[in-house]
Amino acid sequence: MPDLGLGVGLRNCHFGHILAESPAVDWFEAISENFMDSGGRPGHVLRQIAERYPVVLHGVSMSIGSTAPLDRGYLARLKRLADEVRAVWVSDHLCWTGIAGINSHDLLPLPLNDETLRHIVARVREVQNILERPLILENPSTYIGFRDTTIAEPDFLRALADETGCGLLLDVNNVYVSCFNAGTDPVAYLDAFPFERVVQMHLAGHQNCGTHLIDTHDGPVCDAVWELFRLAWQRSGGASTLLEWDGDVPPFEQVHDEVLRARGFMEGAFDRSRLTGSAPAREASISTPVDFLVPGVMESNRLEAG
Amino acid sequence: MNPGLPGLQRWMLDALLAPRRTEGIDARLTASPMLDARARLAIYQRSYILRLVKCLAEQFPALRHALGAPLFDDFAREYLAACPSDAYTLYELGRRFPGWLEESRPDRELPPDEREDWIDFMVDLARYERELFRLFDAPGHEGGVWPTVDVPDARLVLQPCFALAQYRYPVAWYYHEVRHERSPAFPPAHPSYVAIARRDYLTATFPLNPVHFQFLCALHKLGSVDEALQAVALEVERPLAEVRRSWDDAVRGPWIQAGFFVEREGEI
Repeated sequence: MPDLGLGVGLRNCHFGHILAESPAVDWFEAISENFMDSGGRPGHVLRQIAERYPVVLHGVSMSIGSTAPLDRGYLARLKRLADEVRAVWVSDHLCWTGIAGINSHDLLPLPLNDETLRHIVARVREVQNILERPLILENPSTYIGFRDTTIAEPDFLRALADETGCGLLLDVNNVYVSCFNAGTDPVAYLDAFPFERVVQMHLAGHQNCGTHLIDTHDGPVCDAVWELFRLAWQRSGGASTLLEWDGDVPPFEQVHDEVLRARGFMEGAFDRSRLTGSAPAREASISTPVDFLVPGVMESNRLEAG
Repeated sequence: MNPGLPGLQRWMLDALLAPRRTEGIDARLTASPMLDARARLAIYQRSYILRLVKCLAEQFPALRHALGAPLFDDFAREYLAACPSDAYTLYELGRRFPGWLEESRPDRELPPDEREDWIDFMVDLARYERELFRLFDAPGHEGGVWPTVDVPDARLVLQPCFALAQYRYPVAWYYHEVRHERSPAFPPAHPSYVAIARRDYLTATFPLNPVHFQFLCALHKLGSVDEALQAVALEVERPLAEVRRSWDDAVRGPWIQAGFFVEREGEI
């Protein structure tokens, strides 16, 4: 997969700026579900952006780990969109989102063991056949641990990639969040991670709730995650990197400036002592923020005179 | 497939949908150094409902204003318990909300004239907001050629991103007052008729009089301006020539300009 450089997650509130200013950002990542059925402005804007920039599609509802049948209608729409915008790749998460026709709209974790691996290997192969391209899967942020888990997440992802040929999206913030929440070592996680399979990396902000961290995507990347990124960048050989900012989204320039800070963490020696500390605590943080899932639809209406 | 995985996913989904009834947590989940298994699961349970209530609040901002945030959030929670999301996109989360409000109203067994006014208003407001939301991203005519006033009636058809609705309250006015942060009062009952059309990705609501509403409904049903004019003339018991003159002189041009119509493809 090509090295796309430093990219920004495409959000509706930035549409006007991007179209008017053509900012010098390397690439964009679009949330697949926000555009798959769009007959309105989102789809129109994405097509224009795809004419000017490399675009990657990132999904939140494939539910690759669900025990419900794969949604073939969803996959057909995803393929159509990927073809239309010439998506450089298509990614989603190692998770499940629902069963029995119900979607939780959360990236729910899985017990990682041999039988789950076999289940997901079969589904990834099926998805790749339908999409006619490799699937890229991301490590999710997690808040619980299963008693049935017998395989560490990096080892699970390695086996999954080896079996299916899928690529991996390493979310560095998710590594930090999940390891903090599990009481495990994020450096050990990266030591075990199959970097040869990494196609892309994610950066984002999180909230520190004292007893746990929540992956909120609503602020700048904290120093500890930047330091972890330094290690991941060097081990990945400089994989395409993208910043996600989904809650309290600031002006585009600020988001772009934040991802460009990555340049300051590509060189130099990794310093484990910088891995402590993160964003200040905030109450009622929500994991998997919805702002990017439900753009500001209600802003574009007017009432004519009667 | 792991025979335990379907059961585990059913258990976890139930834990999200009905958190108070969750049992067997310690048998399935581990503690972390700082949280026991129940507290860790509670992170998902809390986020699940907060996320979706927030999403509904964004889709129904005027209804939330009218009800007040606490009551709206209570309704949203009840709605989500009765109608959990059945789609891969959150765009569909509020699709059943107006219908659920109507079906779950406590006075639904009473004759219509004995029911609570404010509930009628809430239901109508929810219907209007849902329609706006739907039209935002529905297939439209952007990118196509819009007709001019020179296009003959026989070639005019309603554009694809267009809706007609009638309400018991002036909900479109109320909605836009809220959007302009003018804190409108609960309006008195008054029938309102509107057309909603999207052009250049901007959705506009056009208040209509009852005859114009009838005409557009007839046009939607019959697909022909001429036939719709005849239907309205019959309905209002006025000569067809008079109705046609009104259409030609006062209505046709502004509605073409507003983007109500596209030009019919193919032979007439």
